[in-house]
Amino acid sequence: MKVLRTGILTIAGVIMLAPLYLLVVNSFKSQQDIMERPFSFLVDLSPSYLWDALTAPTYNVVRGYLVTAGFVIGVGLLCLIVTIPAAYVVARGLRRAHRVALMIMLAGLFIPSQVLVIPVVYVLRSINLMGTVPGFLLFETTLTIPVSVFLFTGFIQTIPVQLDEAARIDGASRLRILLQVIVPLMRPAIATVVVLNAVSVWADFVNPQIILGPASGIYTVTTGVYAAIGQFTTNFSAVYPNLLLAIAPVFVFFVFMQRHIISGLTSGALKG
Amino acid sequence: MLAPALALVLVFILVPIGIAGYLSLTDWDGFTPRPEFIGWENYRRIFDDEPLVQAAVVTLVIAVVGTLFANALGLGLALLVDGPGRFKAVARGALFYPYIIGAVIIGFLWSAILGSNGAVNSVLHALGGTGIPFLAEPTWAIISLVLVIIWANFGVTMVLYLAGLQTLPGELMEAALIDGANAWQTFWRVKFALLAPVVTINLVLTMISLLRTYELVLALTAGGPAGTTQTITYYILTISFANGKLGYGAAQAVLLMVVILVVTVALTAMRRRAERDVAA
Repeated sequence: MKVLRTGILTIAGVIMLAPLYLLVVNSFKSQQDIMERPFSFLVDLSPSYLWDALTAPTYNVVRGYLVTAGFVIGVGLLCLIVTIPAAYVVARGLRRAHRVALMIMLAGLFIPSQVLVIPVVYVLRSINLMGTVPGFLLFETTLTIPVSVFLFTGFIQTIPVQLDEAARIDGASRLRILLQVIVPLMRPAIATVVVLNAVSVWADFVNPQIILGPASGIYTVTTGVYAAIGQFTTNFSAVYPNLLLAIAPVFVFFVFMQRHIISGLTSGALKG
Repeated sequence: MLAPALALVLVFILVPIGIAGYLSLTDWDGFTPRPEFIGWENYRRIFDDEPLVQAAVVTLVIAVVGTLFANALGLGLALLVDGPGRFKAVARGALFYPYIIGAVIIGFLWSAILGSNGAVNSVLHALGGTGIPFLAEPTWAIISLVLVIIWANFGVTMVLYLAGLQTLPGELMEAALIDGANAWQTFWRVKFALLAPVVTINLVLTMISLLRTYELVLALTAGGPAGTTQTITYYILTISFANGKLGYGAAQAVLLMVVILVVTVALTAMRRRAERDVAA
């Protein structure tokens, strides 16, 4: 039984990691070596292809990281600021209006953001935020609301109301109850939401591509990679290094934080 | 405290849906100052539009096959990597990591591997073979697309199944074993039955996300060969909208939203029976 398990996992692991091996090894090889011996590492290896990708004129990789990191942090914070109070009110609310408010906020669960973004362009234009970072951040934050509110509401409902009542008797305001009693208890759910949002913002392509657009000159990692290799997918000595540069920081982060990322994803996900 | 969230949802989700709904009843091309109202004409056109119907079929194949395999693999592998141990921890990471890489990069990476001059075909050529048209021949391209989608997606379902497995009370498994159940029976009758709610969540989430498949198609096949791997979202964005058929594209988008809503409700209702059996 144990041998079978180890065997299956080893095969699955090889299938999962082979593309990653190709990505790393071919990032150091010439086009000819990649074409002739893609799986081999016994050829001339050189960091010059990575260097070329790093200094390519089309898009600045380091700037792409900084822009993406800024978006991940910005959307993550905005989302928490907006959704935690909303989820608290809805979770503790007894009136019909609260249930309606919850339904409205969950409506976005069924909306494919890739096609929603087209009419959003008209909304952004009419409030003069099209092609701007604030416009992008507001829309991207809105996309995180349905799942975040859903998870937070379910989680808050598992926290006993008596805690709120005890704090109120002690004279705490509603905001203070939320910040000092409820939020500290929500840590698992917050971890889940933070991880989910970080991955969805970092991996997002359509929204930065359409809202910020190539004209704005603001590239995230994904739109930058697309701009760099979108038309040249067979120029492998550019494709592999660009892809490696795009995922290397995230991948290193993942390897070190894997336990926290996976437990963060799940700890708040299945309650309520 | 509700106002900011509601305002954002109103401005960036509900109003845009309203705009899409209105545009879907017009013949707007994105330039003329006043869109002309043409009633249900756009919706009627959808069913006669052959490439679009084909995109719908491709999307359906991706959603159904992808959801089934991603969940079967996710659950099966979750059982194998559940529990302590360094080997299992490494395996969890190796199976899950595509989730954090993102679809655009996964698509480009696999196109470099499966393309006509890609890594696999280079080896096949070097061995004297003719190569396999993974992305160049329609049937192969769909198969490759679906396989890459499964490759990229089962890790997330696996992690959710792991979370579900950890909430199961251990006493029930022990009781089943004491009662003489074998490993196979404890899995199906106890673990799988108790996981019913997690199965529902996973099926719904995977289905919703695969019905929207766009970035992977863009980066892996760019809809080709000859448009045979276009999905609905791909068709809407790169064919309808890019060619100024905004009214028509809006009608397709509205229809897709309705389909996603119906599928979600139907799946949840179907699964409710399975979940009720657990409670009983």
